[in-house]
Amino acid sequence: MIAALAFYLFAAILIGSAVMVVTARNPVHSVLFLILGFFNAAALFLLAGAEFLAMILVIVYVGAVAVLFLFVVMMLDINFAQMREGFQRYAPVGATVGAMLLLELGIVLGGWKFAPDAANFRFAPRIAELENTAHLGQLLYTDYILLFQLSGLVLLVAMIGAIVLTLRDRGPSRRQIIARQIARKASETMVMVDAPIGTGVGAADYLHPIPEAAEKPDTHEHAHAGHGGH
Amino acid sequence: MNWTLAIPEIVLSCCGMAILLYGVLSRGNAFFMSSMLSVGALLLTGVLVLSTDAGSGFFGLFITDAFSAYIKLTILVAAALSIVMALGYAEHANMQRFEFPVLILLCSVGMLVMASASSLMTLYMGIELMSLSIYVLAAFARDDLRSSEAGLKYFVLGALASGLLLYGISLVYGFAGSMSFDALGAALADPKKVSAGLVTGIVFIVAGLAFKISAVPFHMWTPDVYEGAPTPVTAFMGTAPKVAAMALLVRSLAGPFSDLLGQWQQLIILVSIASMLLGSLAAIGQSNIKRLMAYSSIGHMGYALIGLAAGTPAGIRGVLIYLVTYVFMNSGTFACIIAMRRRGRAVEGIADLGGLSKTDPGLALALAIFMFSMAGIPPFSGFWGKYFIFSAAVAQGMWPIAVIGVLTSVIGAYYYVRIIKVMYFDNAEPAFDARPASLSFVAAASCIFTTFFFLFPAPLVAAADAAARALLG
Amino acid sequence: MNTPMPGMGDTKMVIGLGHYLTVSAILLVLGIFGIFLNRKNVIVILMSIELILLAVNLNLVAFSAALADLAGQVMAMFVLTVAAAEAAIGLAIVVIYSRNRGSIEVEDVTMMKG
Repeated sequence: MIAALAFYLFAAILIGSAVMVVTARNPVHSVLFLILGFFNAAALFLLAGAEFLAMILVIVYVGAVAVLFLFVVMMLDINFAQMREGFQRYAPVGATVGAMLLLELGIVLGGWKFAPDAANFRFAPRIAELENTAHLGQLLYTDYILLFQLSGLVLLVAMIGAIVLTLRDRGPSRRQIIARQIARKASETMVMVDAPIGTGVGAADYLHPIPEAAEKPDTHEHAHAGHGGH
Repeated sequence: MNWTLAIPEIVLSCCGMAILLYGVLSRGNAFFMSSMLSVGALLLTGVLVLSTDAGSGFFGLFITDAFSAYIKLTILVAAALSIVMALGYAEHANMQRFEFPVLILLCSVGMLVMASASSLMTLYMGIELMSLSIYVLAAFARDDLRSSEAGLKYFVLGALASGLLLYGISLVYGFAGSMSFDALGAALADPKKVSAGLVTGIVFIVAGLAFKISAVPFHMWTPDVYEGAPTPVTAFMGTAPKVAAMALLVRSLAGPFSDLLGQWQQLIILVSIASMLLGSLAAIGQSNIKRLMAYSSIGHMGYALIGLAAGTPAGIRGVLIYLVTYVFMNSGTFACIIAMRRRGRAVEGIADLGGLSKTDPGLALALAIFMFSMAGIPPFSGFWGKYFIFSAAVAQGMWPIAVIGVLTSVIGAYYYVRIIKVMYFDNAEPAFDARPASLSFVAAASCIFTTFFFLFPAPLVAAADAAARALLG
Repeated sequence: MNTPMPGMGDTKMVIGLGHYLTVSAILLVLGIFGIFLNRKNVIVILMSIELILLAVNLNLVAFSAALADLAGQVMAMFVLTVAAAEAAIGLAIVVIYSRNRGSIEVEDVTMMKG
């Protein structure tokens, strides 16, 4: 009975948040509802006996993919008028999402009390006498080693792709080169000037640019980073 | 486990990673060297493919036979030709990066795995490795709006197609109880086990694969992506991935699903007729040669599907021969398209070819040969590809579809011959820039194959025959 | 959908395979709707794709439980991996597109007619 209730609760929230993902006007709301949906899908996985997958879903999706989405949504500056209104606008939605998650967590944690009933939560008998995770691991590294390696290649392609498409080596950016900072001597950077009374220090006396060759003996791609330490 | 069967794939992926390391660590532009190394890696893999035994490995996930060897060699040749072509492409400075050949190598690994898939899981991982690489390649010229738009379109529609394919896989898994082709074949042999859910799953899978070969009604992305992607990428997309996806379609439909022939045959015939019609009719109004090639490829896939619909070894043999002739015609044509540069800028209009026979007779002759071959005019290889397919269909009593095929070929011949007319009889446009040797090499090699195939068809036909028999027993 | 599956017919079951398949089908439909009806924002399309993959995973897990066979869960793991990779590449493409175009409205993706 409790299994059924839990199922219906999680399924309803999952579908409801999926509807919101698709219909929400603001993409940030969409991402938040996507996260809620993933949590509920993880709960459904648990009910079906796929414990490891449920955890992976939370870690990979909520921890990585959804955050990536959120990052890009914010970075791209879309819906700028709405975004500018700031945090408070998202607070109600965020609070709602949080409250629902909390509620669910409470219910799930409360569910542990029904341990004798737990067998009914899953509709599959446990396979062999192994934990789900151990069993998956045994399969993954033996029978499915080929696909495991292939998924590694898929991730490699994703990494190359993301880097090759978006990484730009910005020439004039000022990077900190610690070795150069440490190697500086006071005599190269500081000049003691006698300031005659009444005339002050002329601009020519203290604004001498440091000679290029002495400052930068290594002229590789960070050449523009000079003078950064002043 | 028999992992030695996958040595070509293992070696190719190791080479890809080694070249990636080389490119990252080397100073200066490593594009040329890594391209050369990649071609070398593809050649090495080809030798390894030839020396791999037939058998089944990785607990039934992976199979090598004459069919997979044939397809793999075709894919490797197509990938190598694309890399060589990219050497002569200088439109976007951003294209000259060592990641380009590396991505093509990793994409080739995915395609080789597809050719050897004997389980729906392997099929899916191969397709995704291939597709993800191509999404990146299509958007590779990242400062060009058209390229990034092509990448975006291809990504969204491709991801949707793989989602549907995956949904189909999950349905087939649930209703047949397994994902391995052997078990599926055994399960489907019993007609009582064939449920509606299973047929739905198969339809989803066929739809997902039809997207990858850009058959109607899943062709919408083709013209835009072909036009927008950098030309070497278009050349690559038009050849190797189509061969791999067609191979998967053939292997899954003629293998585990062969007992459902009556159910999928109608579907394939419909898709094939629609593709042939759209390919020949929609191409007529095009003025951009890359869009024209997109419609042409849709039509060509329609012809190849006829052989699959026949469902006989002769039909499969026709498909296999057709794919090889298609790879060479397409690569050659795209080498000519990349050579269309005027004062440092690429031109893509058909009108820009005007009077090419006077300014550059060699290029005009090569392009004319490819166009004649695509139109299916003897004695060029394109004619023989169509001949084997149509004869297989007729032998199965499928007269109507063969007649439709011949009719659409005649319509298609109109726009191919129009290009020849523009080149030989129109007023001369200014001459193109001098073309790099790599493009001449690809065009010449493809030209030699296309022209002289009819003199020595025996080795290819015998190989295709062995491959088809390996599949259908 | 109501065909009894081995391993689930004997125990007293409140929640069956059919329930899971229904939820997953609804998710699939929502995802496809999100792709085709969305006229605003490309990123929402990417999220819809994630919904589709989630639907597939739900299917695979449910079938895996019903068939008492772990292959479905292994497959679901690979799907998760690929989905993460797909999200990364998709977002990278969206980023360069928006840099070039200055917008990610779906209606703007029309430079080439097709």
